[in-house]
Amino acid sequence: MDMISDLKRAVCEGDEIKAVDISEKALQEGVEARELMDKGAVAGIQEAGRLWQEEEYFLPDIILATEAYKEAMTVIEPRLAREDLSFKGKVIIGSVEGDAHDIGKNIVISLLRCNSYEVVDLGVDVSLQDFVDKARELEPDVLGMGAYMTTTMRGMEVVIHSLEEAGLRGKVKVIIGGAAVTKDYANDIGADGYGDNAAETVGLVDGLMGVS
Amino acid sequence: MGNLKLQASSMLKLNKALLYSRGLHIGHLDGFERLIAGIYGTPDRVPIITQPYTYAMGLHGLSGKQFFSRPELFINASYNMAIYFGIDFWVPVFDFYNIELDALGQRLIWRDRSEPDVDSSHPLINSEEDLRRLKPPVAGKSGRMPYVLESYKRYIDLMGVPPMGYACSPFTMAVLVRGYVNFLRDMRRNPSFAHRLMEFLSMEVVTPWIDKIAEVTKSSIVVMADAWASQPNMTVEMVREFCLPYIEKIIRATNSPLRTVLDTGSWGERSVKNARDVLDIKMDMMVPGNNLKALRPFFLLVWNEDYEELGIPLFRSYAEEKKVCLMLNIRPNLIEEGPPQRITDTVRKVIKEGAGKGRFNLLINLVPIGTPVEHVHAAVAAAKQFGVYPIDEDLVHATFRSPDLIPFDEWVKKEGLPVG
Repeated sequence: MDMISDLKRAVCEGDEIKAVDISEKALQEGVEARELMDKGAVAGIQEAGRLWQEEEYFLPDIILATEAYKEAMTVIEPRLAREDLSFKGKVIIGSVEGDAHDIGKNIVISLLRCNSYEVVDLGVDVSLQDFVDKARELEPDVLGMGAYMTTTMRGMEVVIHSLEEAGLRGKVKVIIGGAAVTKDYANDIGADGYGDNAAETVGLVDGLMGVS
Repeated sequence: MGNLKLQASSMLKLNKALLYSRGLHIGHLDGFERLIAGIYGTPDRVPIITQPYTYAMGLHGLSGKQFFSRPELFINASYNMAIYFGIDFWVPVFDFYNIELDALGQRLIWRDRSEPDVDSSHPLINSEEDLRRLKPPVAGKSGRMPYVLESYKRYIDLMGVPPMGYACSPFTMAVLVRGYVNFLRDMRRNPSFAHRLMEFLSMEVVTPWIDKIAEVTKSSIVVMADAWASQPNMTVEMVREFCLPYIEKIIRATNSPLRTVLDTGSWGERSVKNARDVLDIKMDMMVPGNNLKALRPFFLLVWNEDYEELGIPLFRSYAEEKKVCLMLNIRPNLIEEGPPQRITDTVRKVIKEGAGKGRFNLLINLVPIGTPVEHVHAAVAAAKQFGVYPIDEDLVHATFRSPDLIPFDEWVKKEGLPVG
């Protein structure tokens, strides 16, 4: 239990070196991967999320915590049994073409993953056609787009239009976020959801998926 | 234009504008004089400043590579945009976050319809060893620095005044050469390395570059742009420990009685519990150095995301308390979306709440490519009609007269500069 608590603390404090080290040692010593994930890594990132929502943590704190969570999971995930990997749904997410910003996107990804979503990170500067192609190929439940610059956000409506043309719009919920966009813009372009900040995204996706 | 003639002409304009701002009116103000009068006091009307940037690029059908590497195209296209819309003062703004990085060897991603961007998947400094090996650029010669200096020379020839010079702040540069997460870790786990990096970037990259810009242009204002010193991406404490000491060092090293160097461009008042924490940082980013404090063109630049949420009066009263010029932009996407009525109503509100009795500038920047010219004209015309001092107390009921328009292409043929 000590190593599990240590992992929780390392993730919450954003220490990815410790998080990896503890994860490796714990698995070597026979700690169950599922327990290590749930009570260590996931509990750590959830605690960080709680502190962030309560404004005890600043954005850099939650960023480092999500990085530590991500690193710990690269060690733990290969050891999980198939039945441990049950997901509420699949999300693909990326920053739109011309936009290399990924701070918010990375937080969203970690928070979704630790809330049992399978997330495919398309990266930054994702071509508008790639969003459509990946939606067709991966058949996600939700497609997320981030835009952080006023000069790039218009790509989002192009993607939604292209999804419609490709006959995919009815099969995937589209959510958008990022510093440049607003709820009004989301409504205007026909997105299904808008997240004002990364912390809102889990609730938003849960709502769209009809799960709690 | 010769340096002596340029300096003499600039000094005359500065003096005329300063006198005007204090109530002694000698003739009419031109755009540059209006800007200066608006910084120090009350001009005839609110000065309108623009950064033509990629909107000018798009208006002329230029690619990112053409616009951001060929001085003639960059300056002529920017000039056409600013003059066509009747802007008071335009700033030749290139991709100023990249120039020193490009000169250092950082890989950039070039795109057809936007500015180049740092390739964040390949940060230049991956380890402490990388920093030890890194050679500083030769100021003015490395990378696209010659493009910048040549562009400034062309600007001076066209406008008859020095440009506002632009450099990248060392703090933002540190984030870009290390990657955001890496630099966060440096500040937390290896602060001595973070400080060494800041020292190198400040004294061996930024300072020589600012000196070179000033030597070539005789600019009276050189701005270090500092988008990454913003909330919530950084905490107030991080900015105070890792950014401000180096800003002060650069300012003390590069200021002169005729030159003001300052750091600006950050934001995030809405992201902290107490907006004054961020506003105070903005003031500290303009420490006096060895300049005459009374003549420093202090301005408080606040972006629309912050004033739309917190309200303009908060910023106006802070600016008045600190005796600085308030500069507000108009939300770029509003200008893009329109309709003109919404744009003019917004300009009216911004002027009503922000312009006060002077010490105010209005900024039109980052207009997205493809924005109808009618929308930009509406913003400029509204600022000219509503921004006349003293500001009409009944501005809410003032009628707006739409300007007569000439299509851009037609105007360029008649009065513009050749592009391409």
